[in-house]
Amino acid sequence: MKNKLIELACIIDDDDIYINLIRRIIETKKLCENLIVFKNGKQSLDYFESLLQNSNEDKVPDIILIDLNMPIMDGWEFIEQFTKIKNRFNKLITLYIVSSSINPVDIDRAKSLNTIKDYLVKPIVINQLETIFDISA
Amino acid sequence: MLCLRHKRINIHLSNTMVQVKVPPKPIDSNIGYLELKNDDIYCSKAFLSHVGKLTKDKKISLDFFINNLVHKDDSNQFRNNYFSYIKNNLPFRQSMLILCKKGKYEEFVCTTNQNNIHLNNATTKFLFFNKRKFKTNKRVKKHKFYYKEAAEMTSTGSWYVDFIKRKSYWDQQTRRILEYPEDYKPSLRKASSYYPKKDYELAKKLFYRCSTNGESFNTEIKMLTKNNREFWVRAKGKPVFNDQKKIIGIRGIFQDIDATKAKELNLQRTSDIIASQNKRLFNFAYIVSHNLRSHTSNLSLVMELINATKSKEEKLELIDSIKDITSSLNDTIEHLNEVVTIQTITNKSKSPVQFSESLRHVKTSIGQIIAKSRATIISDFTKVDTINYIPAYLESILLNLITNSIKYKHPERDPIIKIVSYLEDNKTVLEVTDNGIGIDLEKFGDKLFGMYKTFHYNKDAVGIGLFITKNQIEALNGQINAFSEVEKFTTFKITF
Repeated sequence: MKNKLIELACIIDDDDIYINLIRRIIETKKLCENLIVFKNGKQSLDYFESLLQNSNEDKVPDIILIDLNMPIMDGWEFIEQFTKIKNRFNKLITLYIVSSSINPVDIDRAKSLNTIKDYLVKPIVINQLETIFDISA
Repeated sequence: MLCLRHKRINIHLSNTMVQVKVPPKPIDSNIGYLELKNDDIYCSKAFLSHVGKLTKDKKISLDFFINNLVHKDDSNQFRNNYFSYIKNNLPFRQSMLILCKKGKYEEFVCTTNQNNIHLNNATTKFLFFNKRKFKTNKRVKKHKFYYKEAAEMTSTGSWYVDFIKRKSYWDQQTRRILEYPEDYKPSLRKASSYYPKKDYELAKKLFYRCSTNGESFNTEIKMLTKNNREFWVRAKGKPVFNDQKKIIGIRGIFQDIDATKAKELNLQRTSDIIASQNKRLFNFAYIVSHNLRSHTSNLSLVMELINATKSKEEKLELIDSIKDITSSLNDTIEHLNEVVTIQTITNKSKSPVQFSESLRHVKTSIGQIIAKSRATIISDFTKVDTINYIPAYLESILLNLITNSIKYKHPERDPIIKIVSYLEDNKTVLEVTDNGIGIDLEKFGDKLFGMYKTFHYNKDAVGIGLFITKNQIEALNGQINAFSEVEKFTTFKITF
């Protein structure tokens, strides 16, 4: 009883190796049709802001997996900025934190924010990814 | 009222006196006495020789005696005793101060007829004045001894500032702890030389408040001895009031607490060091767990993928990526190693290092980078040229800050890096200022010195340099702060 496939997923992470691995999983398991990747919060925020200006709906991702520890703009700042603009999209965007931080401060902070659906601790396993992508669809 | 009563009693007294013709007299030797007759008091020769000649004859009035000769603190008690003696023949013994020659008060014991066996039957009433010279002296000596012992053992000197006479008084102990000679005369005008500059301001404030609002003070303050040695003192002071409740002076003590204070400060320093080391350890533990975890989680992800893939080729490809993971794991461990080495250094390796010498080494080692970026380094170490430090650290600090400045140079101008040293609050300060792109401290201030934090789209931004620099500086109890304006400059200020 598989749902409709996710059209566009977004990964924000500065770890090249991790991105390659996730990309590989998504491709082999066919979890979504397209994937966009950003190396830090600033890059992705720029992307979302440009989408709003051009109202390019089909380029809005259904799901975002974001890391916390990134250069220039970290995950927290992105989430803060993104929360301000997310309601201007005509689409529900599900946001997951995927971080190697097991710091309880980070986990509690994530739980307190409505924007965040869940906090996943690296290493993420294939099953977990399948579940997330399934629910989000 | 009192006056009336006293007159009446004297009349009564005179009546009885008339009947007595030849009263026995006490021997007027070294004790003086007063013969109480009629309204008057007759002084003995010995008495007069103490207090000086008062009138043409030996006669004085009671009022004169009480108002002019008896100390006001003793006069009421004396008046009561006197009338009980005259009226009811009640004996008394009172120690009192009497104004003697040269305007000095001296202590006497005043007794009545009953205290002299051979005058028991005398009808004339006498008052005998026995100088307490011997007894008092002994007592004063004893008091003085205790006082001196207490003062010396607790290193506490007392002092008094007299606003009326505009004079300051110190006791010997105050002079001793402040290392002034025994005949030294203190004065408020010289007060600025008793304190280091900063503490003088505090002392002035406390004295001012005490003299105007009557606020007592109890504080720890640094003072200066005559030999310009700074030391810690507990200073207590309280206002002295006159009868009209006006403040006429300040009385207080100085206690030398230098040894205790030194211990306290030392303890505080140790506790600060422990706290900062603890903080760094926590930080380190967090970094270790976080940075190592990102690699291990990648490793486990690879393993999972290998298991999930069926194609042999893909499996081989995945095994290849393990190489990348292990190499970045290696980098991380090396960085962590560097940090660990900082934590374990000791003070033993400190030695005097010249800033100029250190900078010369750095310039040589990164000569190419400097030349390529066309950076100019201007240094001025004239104010402080040498510091007791770990030479390798000073070089590492300079190297990191200079390469940082070059890395984040402004695209439109060649980097100019100014390095100066100076003294601030007795501490050596090193400042490195560049004309680079600057950094938004409001945004990144708390992360500036974090590990693997980079703030620019710069290829060689690794985010380890400033973290190491901060750790090195803090491991040696120093401080590093940043000041910056985007597009203009960045200054790193190191307080050693």
